[in-house]
Amino acid sequence: MFRIPLLVALALFVTFGVGIVSTVSALKATVGFGAIALGPWVAFPEAQTENTDPYAKAHRARAGKLLYGGAEGLQFTAATDSAGEKLSSGCSYDIVGITPPARFWTLYATNANDQPMKADLALPTATNAWTVLRQPDSSFVIHVSPVAQPDNWLALRRIGAFKLVLTLLDTPTAGSSGLIDLTMPKVVKTECPDA
Amino acid sequence: MRSVLFAILVGLVGAALLHIVIILALPQFTGKDAYSRVLGLYEMDSFFPLTSEPGPTGLANDDPYLRVAVCGFSVTAGPARFVAKGAIPFWSLSIYDANSNEIFSMNDHTAVNGNLDLVMATPIQLVDLRKTPPESLAQSILVEMPDEEGYAVLRALAPMDSFEETVRNFLAESSCEPFRR
Repeated sequence: MFRIPLLVALALFVTFGVGIVSTVSALKATVGFGAIALGPWVAFPEAQTENTDPYAKAHRARAGKLLYGGAEGLQFTAATDSAGEKLSSGCSYDIVGITPPARFWTLYATNANDQPMKADLALPTATNAWTVLRQPDSSFVIHVSPVAQPDNWLALRRIGAFKLVLTLLDTPTAGSSGLIDLTMPKVVKTECPDA
Repeated sequence: MRSVLFAILVGLVGAALLHIVIILALPQFTGKDAYSRVLGLYEMDSFFPLTSEPGPTGLANDDPYLRVAVCGFSVTAGPARFVAKGAIPFWSLSIYDANSNEIFSMNDHTAVNGNLDLVMATPIQLVDLRKTPPESLAQSILVEMPDEEGYAVLRALAPMDSFEETVRNFLAESSCEPFRR
């Protein structure tokens, strides 16, 4: 007797359940299509434009971030190391290499929800192209670690998963498709006492 | 049993449709998009410097070395003019429309003498400005605004703490005003 209403209820349940869950997870998983991936570093050079895909438009409307314009810069985010493992703030990492040509770059860490990691003000939680200590060939090694390190140290708080954000300011690569040939610094895991 | 499978199948088709509808409609009703957040600061026609802690609408200086100021503006009544001057290592400006699509962006190297002087205007206002160019706009960059409303984001770089004051002055003295002849 209740077969038909039950089937209708089941269909509606599947519609709303699967529809909403798949939408939310799709928006959480990625900023959209059109990503440039250089090793672990991912950037979305078109995400702020009119031509971007509907997923990127929905994502940016939901996140409400002030995105970088084409002439301003390009923001790369890394959620994994160069070996493809998720970054964990219990471990130590080395960022080794050079950045693509840019007038300036900044590097800082965020938590998994893209909010800046709040650490003690006295600790070095960010670094940039002027303050970083370089090798004679102008490459650099930055130690990302929750424990103090010599040379370039990017302090972490032990909050579990985290992301690294590298922003290239006024970079000629922001608008060019030749970006694929460029080298980004490697993110190498050096020590992982918890794991 | 067959009818249960059929109901699930219908549900999945509905889910796909709902997924598409939500994705396409989301930008219209989140209320959390960047333009709503800029308007929520209640600061039209002047640059509002953001703090490093999230402000009332959740906007903040995300990058520890970039100080950001935002300005909501409208070109309905007349062109909007953006001016900023100062010797800082880097600044950049982006203009977005109400849907947060980038209209125009520039930085200090693409500016005249490294100073910001930009006029956003509707196509009709632009024709008027070009026909009888006002003296004060001789150095200005004129850009066409496809929509009537939008917001501007001005970023200034403070690579070290000693630049803090210069950068704060740069943002404080920058202006985002309706242009009048």
